[in-house]
Amino acid sequence: MSLPFVPETKFGVPLAGGPREGVVRIDPPLSGETNMAIDEALLRDATPESPIVLRVYQWEQPTLSLGHFQSWEDCRTIPGLSDLPWVRRKTGGGAIVHDQEITYSILIPETRNKTSKGHSELLYRAIHGSVVENLKKLGWDAKLSETCTCSTATNQKEEPFLCFSRRSPVDLIIGTHKILGSAQRRTSAGLLQHGSLLIHQSPTTPKLIGLSELTRYIPSKFVQEAFHTDSISNYNQHMRETGLTDAFFNSAGAPSVARASLDRNAWADFLVGVLKSRLSEIANCQWR
Amino acid sequence: MSIIPEELRYLESHEWVHVSNETPGIATVGISAFAVAELTDLVFMALPKVGQSVSAGHEFGEVESVKAVSPMYSPVSGTVVEIHSELVNNLESLSVDPYEGGWIMKVQMSDPSELARLLDWTTYKHQCDNA
Repeated sequence: MSLPFVPETKFGVPLAGGPREGVVRIDPPLSGETNMAIDEALLRDATPESPIVLRVYQWEQPTLSLGHFQSWEDCRTIPGLSDLPWVRRKTGGGAIVHDQEITYSILIPETRNKTSKGHSELLYRAIHGSVVENLKKLGWDAKLSETCTCSTATNQKEEPFLCFSRRSPVDLIIGTHKILGSAQRRTSAGLLQHGSLLIHQSPTTPKLIGLSELTRYIPSKFVQEAFHTDSISNYNQHMRETGLTDAFFNSAGAPSVARASLDRNAWADFLVGVLKSRLSEIANCQWR
Repeated sequence: MSIIPEELRYLESHEWVHVSNETPGIATVGISAFAVAELTDLVFMALPKVGQSVSAGHEFGEVESVKAVSPMYSPVSGTVVEIHSELVNNLESLSVDPYEGGWIMKVQMSDPSELARLLDWTTYKHQCDNA
């Protein structure tokens, strides 16, 4: 398909330690078909000279994306899913309801021979680890799951249909709730990783709760400021001065004291900031 | 038919090919033990259809493991004459026997001279040892 004009925000990121360039693009909410077509084009057209591309985006209406090998028929087991428009991702894993979440994709062009098969654990961990680190700075007890539900050749049919109901060791969780999951696609042109950061509970999947439902009471102006790296220390200082420490939240029965009223654009900025700061590291890793 | 890794030819992307003396125009194709180990838990495999054309160095199928979809490349050009359809429901067997019992497709080769361009066992093993 030919892609429509997309008024993206796009800027280059100098990468340390090599000639590669990094590009960050933030797209406005688009249709599922367009979102997938952009990612597929990035992967299809990648050459060894292409930049690493980090793309952060949203969807113009709630949309179901299926993992590459999933059957749409299976979504009928979950009320409401079959009413949604749907697309199929090039990446694997489970289905995602793109409603109250932020999606990212990262494209790493292949610069060597096409010798690798399978997933890149390092890439999963680099991306998820950086989000863990920054959510911790904002007060969430985020960590990697390090457990598995687990998909194997013999039991894959027993896996939950939805990505956020599954657990793999590299998934980002808060308490028992999965907040960030990712999946990958390899071709001879490169490695594409998709991921979804769950911000709010969606009416379509009420059992899956997001960051806002797992939020301690945080004064919103400090949260907004804290999205800018320089302000995180100010935020932490404020928390100490006001006594809003982890101990306080724990004694108060946190993490669900109240809901934050953050819009998703702020979280898109957060994700861009976190991942942009790690692009050099990502570019220089061996994605075997 | 007995398939011994040391007697096979390989793509650097870890697909193997075997041609028996009994059926010299037919290439049997699979993925190596190294690839199976890299893929860890295989959950899906998409095979080509019988009658489909395949080209040396181009994709003929896909596998999914650990939420990652990876291509499988054909070592030879030709027409698919048989697929191992039972394998897709028995992927765990690949970790036990990626060669004889783990064959994926058989191809009527259109250009058997392509075999000479593939890696022999010594070269392929060296690549894996240095991966």
